[in-house]
Amino acid sequence: MTQPIVSLSDLSFAWPGQPPVLDVKAFELNRGERLFLRGPSGSGKSTLLGLIAGVLEANSGAVHVLDQDLTELSGGQRDRVRADHLGVIFQMFNLVPYLSVVQNVVLPCRFSKRRLGEVQAAGGAEAEAKRLLARLGLSDEGLLSRNVTELSVGQQQRVAAARALIGNPALIIADEPTSALDADSRDRFIQLLSDEAQKTDAALLFVSHDGALAPLFDRAIDLAEINHAASIMEQA
Amino acid sequence: MGVSIFGLAWRSLMNRKVSAFLTIFAIALSVALFLGVEKARNAAKDGFDNTISGTELIVGAPSGQINLLLYSVFRLGNATAEISWPTYEAIAARNDVAWAVPISLGDNHRGYRVLGTTQSYFEHYKYGQRQSLAFAEGEMFDDLFDAVIGSEVAKQLGYEVETPLIITHGLGAGGLTDHDNRPFRVVGVLRPTGTPVDQTIHVSLEAITAIHVGWETGARNPLADNIPEETIRGFNLTPRTVTAVFIGLKNRATVLRTRRDLNTNMTEPLLAIIPGQALAELWQVMSTAERVLLAVSAFVIAVGLVSILTSILTSLNERRREMSILRATGARPSHIMTLLIAEAAVLGFMGAVLGAILIQIIFAVAAPILSAQYGVALMGTGPGLVDAYTIGAVTLAALFLGIWPAITALRRSLADGLTVKV
Ligand SMILES: Nc1ncnc2c1ncn2[C@@H]1O[C@H](COP(=O)(O)OP(=O)(O)O)[C@@H](O)[C@H]1O
Ligand SMILES: [Mg+2]
Repeated sequence: MTQPIVSLSDLSFAWPGQPPVLDVKAFELNRGERLFLRGPSGSGKSTLLGLIAGVLEANSGAVHVLDQDLTELSGGQRDRVRADHLGVIFQMFNLVPYLSVVQNVVLPCRFSKRRLGEVQAAGGAEAEAKRLLARLGLSDEGLLSRNVTELSVGQQQRVAAARALIGNPALIIADEPTSALDADSRDRFIQLLSDEAQKTDAALLFVSHDGALAPLFDRAIDLAEINHAASIMEQA
Repeated sequence: MGVSIFGLAWRSLMNRKVSAFLTIFAIALSVALFLGVEKARNAAKDGFDNTISGTELIVGAPSGQINLLLYSVFRLGNATAEISWPTYEAIAARNDVAWAVPISLGDNHRGYRVLGTTQSYFEHYKYGQRQSLAFAEGEMFDDLFDAVIGSEVAKQLGYEVETPLIITHGLGAGGLTDHDNRPFRVVGVLRPTGTPVDQTIHVSLEAITAIHVGWETGARNPLADNIPEETIRGFNLTPRTVTAVFIGLKNRATVLRTRRDLNTNMTEPLLAIIPGQALAELWQVMSTAERVLLAVSAFVIAVGLVSILTSILTSLNERRREMSILRATGARPSHIMTLLIAEAAVLGFMGAVLGAILIQIIFAVAAPILSAQYGVALMGTGPGLVDAYTIGAVTLAALFLGIWPAITALRRSLADGLTVKV
């Protein structure tokens, strides 16, 4: 329990042909913790999330997620860690356009046996998807049967949150999921997301350029505090 | 559980209906063309080989063996010369000849060839697996101006027993050259055979002589019109020449010797051919063209398959986000590959199946027209193994082609990381 869920040490990453964008000596996220990570646009927040999600590979250093060093795993093994234990929410366009709302939400269960097992224990994937959607304020049948591209941005983001939460992942990473929302629905969205995360003991790593959101979380840090990459200094 | 990878592929295609449909349609057309060529050539060859059987030799004036076959059996083209009646009698009287049926060609009725022959024609002419001609209605010609018509003649012209008909001199259209002073009467309608017999009007040899009384110069002599029928019936109507003779032998083993004899030892120069051999030679000539056609249609399928690549590759740009969503929700590279390969395979499969259906529809529509126009009955063009193989091959080829966009999509999604720049 004392082990952090994410721990980075001496991590460095550069996009091909570019100067390093990330150089992180140490960073930790505890289990169940809801952390706000602030940084201006282009500072490397999404890149950092990509590394934690195991989609990108660090040039050097260690990326521990759930006691495993992703840098020592193969691409397939990293994919499995992500499929089993991570929920991801993007800034926008989170949904697969040709799937229904419920089909979008249950998508992770298709790629992870662990999550499929969890939802089956909880009464089936569809029932669980509907339960999560209802908790996030999307219970109207007419709304659920609508084409996902016809939903408002706020509704789409809540569907994405339900998808990230399904099957009780240990870590939710959210990449500026509220930047397209107005202030009201933004705060409500964060409240719902962080409540649901807390209920399942999932840690939440929420990044945004908007420092005003910081009070809504357990802890808030600036990417600049942990990132020492020179190229970012120049930009700032 | 939600949607399987194939379900995803299907829904993704349905999400791009227009593009998917156009691709499927392109493949369907190419597959239909290929199957059409393949089926038509097999059917043509079968129909071809079945045109005449049981006749050991065909004898005509010297020309080429294909030429003789074409005009005597297929009613195509014209004899350049005829053979004399005494020569026919000499052939018929030979010891090794079991039967000899003379035929006389040269006139037509509304585009259908008129064939003068004897009653023995109906006994000895065989087609397919030695099937005899059979009457759907009526009987053989007996009187001088009786005519027996093939099934297509009856069907296309709406003729039946007792219908009167006028024969036109030569092969041109009617009018001035009609033998309108000597009307015929249909006495028999033959059953369909799928051979040129269906397009033929059969009359007696004497009738051919009779209608040409007054045409000795090659053009109509108006004075001859006044000769009453009674007088003509009183003439000796034995023809002076015939166009060709169909021969059956007493012993098939002597066919080569008899042929050599006919070709060399008669008082008049003759050409005797073995129908099977001539058919094979004719088919050889046609099969080059037919193979070229098949190769071209195979290339058209390749073009159709390329349209799968185009359609999927161009879709990939707008689908970068979709790929990164799938990756973020746990899809492994193998899932992305499977998705795109499945899309290609589904396009190929649906296109090929649609193509196979399309060609059946086309044949159903075209068969009556072909049989009416050319006397070819396309048999065995129904769904068969060749369709199954073609659908399988096209699907497999599409599947392999799908590897290309699959790898492209995978590379991109790896390079994009978690988020795609808008
Ligand atoms: N797929 C990519 N390929 C190349 N460079 C990238 C890619 N994604 C981001 N970058 C670069 O990395 C830097 C950090 O980008 P990003 O992590 O998206 O920042 P943020 O999310 O904080 O706005 C930027 O300079 C950006 O241009
Ligand atoms: Mg970003």
